[in-house]
Amino acid sequence: MPAGWWTRNRHYVNYMLREFSSVPMALWMLWLLVEIQRAGGPPSQYRPHGSPAFIAFSVIVLLFSLYHSVTFLSLAGTILHFKVFDRPVPSRLIVLAMFGMWLVASVVVAFVLVWFAR
Amino acid sequence: MADKTVTVKATRYDPQHDEKPRFQSYEIPFYDESMVVLDALNYIKSHVDGSLSYRWSCRMGICGSCGMMVNGVPKLTCNAFLRDYWPRPVVVEPLNNFPIIRDLVIDMDDFMHKLKAIKPWIIRKQEIPIGAREHRQTNEQIDDFRQFSQCINCMLCYAACPVYGLNNEFLGPAATALARRYNLDSRDEGLKIRLPVVAESEGIWECSFVGECSVVCPKGVDPAKAIQQTKLDTTLRFVLPYGNRE
Repeated sequence: MPAGWWTRNRHYVNYMLREFSSVPMALWMLWLLVEIQRAGGPPSQYRPHGSPAFIAFSVIVLLFSLYHSVTFLSLAGTILHFKVFDRPVPSRLIVLAMFGMWLVASVVVAFVLVWFAR
Repeated sequence: MADKTVTVKATRYDPQHDEKPRFQSYEIPFYDESMVVLDALNYIKSHVDGSLSYRWSCRMGICGSCGMMVNGVPKLTCNAFLRDYWPRPVVVEPLNNFPIIRDLVIDMDDFMHKLKAIKPWIIRKQEIPIGAREHRQTNEQIDDFRQFSQCINCMLCYAACPVYGLNNEFLGPAATALARRYNLDSRDEGLKIRLPVVAESEGIWECSFVGECSVVCPKGVDPAKAIQQTKLDTTLRFVLPYGNRE
């Protein structure tokens, strides 16, 4: 297999993008751990990191994480299979339910963050 | 119409004379809009160069023999119309990820071993004597495995799978789809016999869900689905109480 096999078609590129998106997310999570460690001191000494470069990196990570989430949840209809009243649940319904749960979870997390930030 | 031509670039390789595969171009008449790539190869074989080697049999997308790379995509050549490529040249190569025996003929031994390993037949603990009674199934029971039974062993999914390309120990898409076909069959009792092959690290767990196997399948089988669902099922068998039941 040549190293550039994944450039052969669009599906391979999308797959590599999906898999690669975990890398910036992992880096950002590492940064989050550092921030948590920094926030362990007295509140008066803590200043959140807000350089333009970090904000730009965070926006890129957000885009990657959205791409990863959308592709991951879209595949749920292929992976999950179960029956209700002896009839298989359609894949589309499973995917729709996944996106619905994602929306609910996002609203809950946003509510908690806003609540604590007040 | 008769003077319309198409260029076919086919891989040529004779292990006794060639160090590596090379391309040879043929200009052949494109006299009928219903011509497929296999027709072009047959024309070359009959009228231009009788030494060109390739596999084919039924010419109707059933036998799965004529799978080749057509312009870089795994295709059944009996189902790849020249009109979809013309006026560009049609580049025909042997299926990716397999050793080449000669020209467009690949060595399929590895796939045949894998196919045999998953025991693609109905296994019964106790055979019902012929004539004693029927193995009855409802339509719903057939629907559980119907799509996986459409596999014609053409190996296009293996040619499209980069995981198999990188590690040919991987059981692969078609073999797993066929294992699932029998494991889902209400008449079959061979799940525990197939699991050691299917659920090992070079089995389903090697797959990273590229999904191209399902895209290229000419029969609408979804091997990626078979693999991911088998991952879920084997995980549930492992973690749930009484999950390891028959």
